Amino acid sequence: MPRTFAVFRGYSIKLARNALFCSTLFAGTVLAFQQAEADDVNWRQFEGTSIVWAYDIHPYADAVAAQLPEFERLTGIKVAPELYPDDAYWNKLTIQLSTKSPSWDVVGTGIQPAWDLAPGQLLEPLDGYLNDPKLTAPSYDYKDFFPALRNALTWKVKEGQIEPGSGHVWAIPHGFENIQLFYRKDILDKYGIKVPTTPPEMSDACAKLKAADPTITPLGVRGVRFWSSIHTAAISIAKSYGVHDFVLKDGHLDTGLDSPESITFHKDYVDMIKKCAAPSFANDNWYQVVDGISSGRTAMAIDSNMFGFWNDVAGKPASGKIAFAPPLHAPNDKNFESNIWIWSLAMNAASKKKGAAWLFIQWATSKQVELNGATAGKLVNSPRASTWTDEAWLEYAAKPEFNNFVDTFKAVQGRAELAFTARVGFAEAMNAWAVAMQKMVNGADVKATLTELASEIRSSM
Amino acid sequence: MDLPGLDAIVTLRSSVSQLAPSEAEELTAEERALDWWSLAAIAPAIIILLGFLFLFFYGVFQSLTDLRFGRPLVHFVGLSNYAVLIKTEDFWNSVRATFVYAGSAVLIEALFGLALAKLFATEVLLARLMRAVILLPLVLPPMSVALMWTTMMDPQNGIMNYLLSLAGVGRFAWISDPSTAMISLVLIDVWTYTPFFALIIFAGLQGINEEVREAARVNGAKGWASFLYIELPLIAPYILIAAVFRLIESLNQFDIIFGTTQGGPGNSTAVLSVRAYVTAFQNLAFGRGAALMVVNWILVLVATFAMVKLWRFVRNRVI
Repeated sequence: MPRTFAVFRGYSIKLARNALFCSTLFAGTVLAFQQAEADDVNWRQFEGTSIVWAYDIHPYADAVAAQLPEFERLTGIKVAPELYPDDAYWNKLTIQLSTKSPSWDVVGTGIQPAWDLAPGQLLEPLDGYLNDPKLTAPSYDYKDFFPALRNALTWKVKEGQIEPGSGHVWAIPHGFENIQLFYRKDILDKYGIKVPTTPPEMSDACAKLKAADPTITPLGVRGVRFWSSIHTAAISIAKSYGVHDFVLKDGHLDTGLDSPESITFHKDYVDMIKKCAAPSFANDNWYQVVDGISSGRTAMAIDSNMFGFWNDVAGKPASGKIAFAPPLHAPNDKNFESNIWIWSLAMNAASKKKGAAWLFIQWATSKQVELNGATAGKLVNSPRASTWTDEAWLEYAAKPEFNNFVDTFKAVQGRAELAFTARVGFAEAMNAWAVAMQKMVNGADVKATLTELASEIRSSM
Repeated sequence: MDLPGLDAIVTLRSSVSQLAPSEAEELTAEERALDWWSLAAIAPAIIILLGFLFLFFYGVFQSLTDLRFGRPLVHFVGLSNYAVLIKTEDFWNSVRATFVYAGSAVLIEALFGLALAKLFATEVLLARLMRAVILLPLVLPPMSVALMWTTMMDPQNGIMNYLLSLAGVGRFAWISDPSTAMISLVLIDVWTYTPFFALIIFAGLQGINEEVREAARVNGAKGWASFLYIELPLIAPYILIAAVFRLIESLNQFDIIFGTTQGGPGNSTAVLSVRAYVTAFQNLAFGRGAALMVVNWILVLVATFAMVKLWRFVRNRVI
């Protein structure tokens, strides 16, 4: 009998949860619809058009895809999402845009890849659309996006290079991430491990964890030979050591990756990876990092904060077990640094349906769609200030299963900023850094490898 | 002097010379009529071939430019992309990795394929059942093969290490360590393509006339000697033709390598095709990527010519 009751109770809780989620989503979409109707922009001006929206397979995409029927009802525009796994998506994006294929109308991008895309006139500048009252509703409120995010996506192209700060708007923020250390509270508590704050402390914690349970991987970090493995843990920690990817020397840009600070950082970081990371480090992307932390095979991870949040959502196996902390910092520095990544929506310059594409971008980054995505537990880090003052989201994010998510977010966000130098050629230099990192982890001499890396980067500048 | 034969010769020559033009004229007219039809029939093939050649030479042209993604202006830089490449240690490492991968994979596949083909040629029940099953790896898409093996070779959670542990063997790093990554990739290639060799060699074994074997037996040749001195020389052209196809494919292998190691750890498995792809589509330096592709093409061409020459030599000896 108690067993039957427990099953019934579990079912009821699930039912109530689903009902609450559906009613929130319904109320949200009704509000969005009403808001849209009240605007003076004609949402049906491109009725009957079909557009393609390409994106990474990602919960941020799921958040928008779940609300697509509402957009199609509002505008009469049909949206076909094309979603690809991470590595495949970036390669396909390059090929699609460089061949000036009009088949994709709206694409997901980050700032860093956009630096390489914009100068070749492969992305459509969006400020013209933003400032056109026939195309943009007054309630869209572009200034509601955090200023740091807006600024990061605004630049001009001068003599083939990026000049940030002013110029065209190249993409609209859709969700962002800051880099944090998140950890399995249950595992660290079980073995009495204190949350480390520096790479040497992390190395010590890993040694203790390995001694206590050799089956656990102490730390999950990306290690693939692609820039995505640099932009999370490596660049955030490196910055606190005083490392800069590029520095100005005699008025010219030069790499700072062979500086004494860089050598110190790499020695500590490589030592930490050797002691803490999985043996499959060289093949690990964010999929493996997330899988490790959610399954409990990994005790800690340094990556985008939302990966911890998603696994804390009620009903997930790791719900309530993942807590958050700032990323590691240099032993002689009190402050940590955190890189940011901005998932953004941009328009293919070769698109033949730019009006419809803009309406989709505008809708997908609107206040209500962002809020709906956030309260559905998908679009965790909304780029809109209004979401972060909204009771519905704050109440949801403050639930006990998310542990210290909100507090840590606020603490980290104060020091989170783009850690890379804006320049065309980002991918080539950072891919080379990722390969060099693998070599050093595999035993190559740190100083010699960094000298070789710097020389390679200089030769391509 | 009476030389009747001379007359006859003169007559014969003149009649040939008289007949030849009229016959040639008739053939030419016929050929002309046929030429239009033949030309129309092969026109699509010629157009496709020209298309391929155009794309190839366009690629060669790109390798002579500084074409970069995002740079609106493209300059002709001559052979400087090649000059830059040959000065780097990474390039020579890639050439070495390409030959090590292709050479070892083809050699091991030929040996295993030969053994399997011999097994198939027997009337053992298990061998007959295995003939169909053994072809399964060949029909799998290479990228799926790569993903499957990546999971199986995971040093911590992969089934390969679990199987080794049953035999008392300690943890092996597989594709995660530079010293074992290449061996692991060759193993994947061998698993996938050995059936191709087995199939071709089996066809060769089936083609040997039973009387030849019988004659060898009558002359006292035992099993091993009969295989070594009778069967092996006769199937050598088959082995070599399979090797030609596999060598071309292995020197160009991309899917299996990119799908598992992406050329890593470090640059330990960065064969030319993977390096070309990374340079062009991840580093966005299309000019240098194209130069790497041209170098890869030259290597494939040279290796293929050498193999075809060897195949002709062996075939002529057998015939």
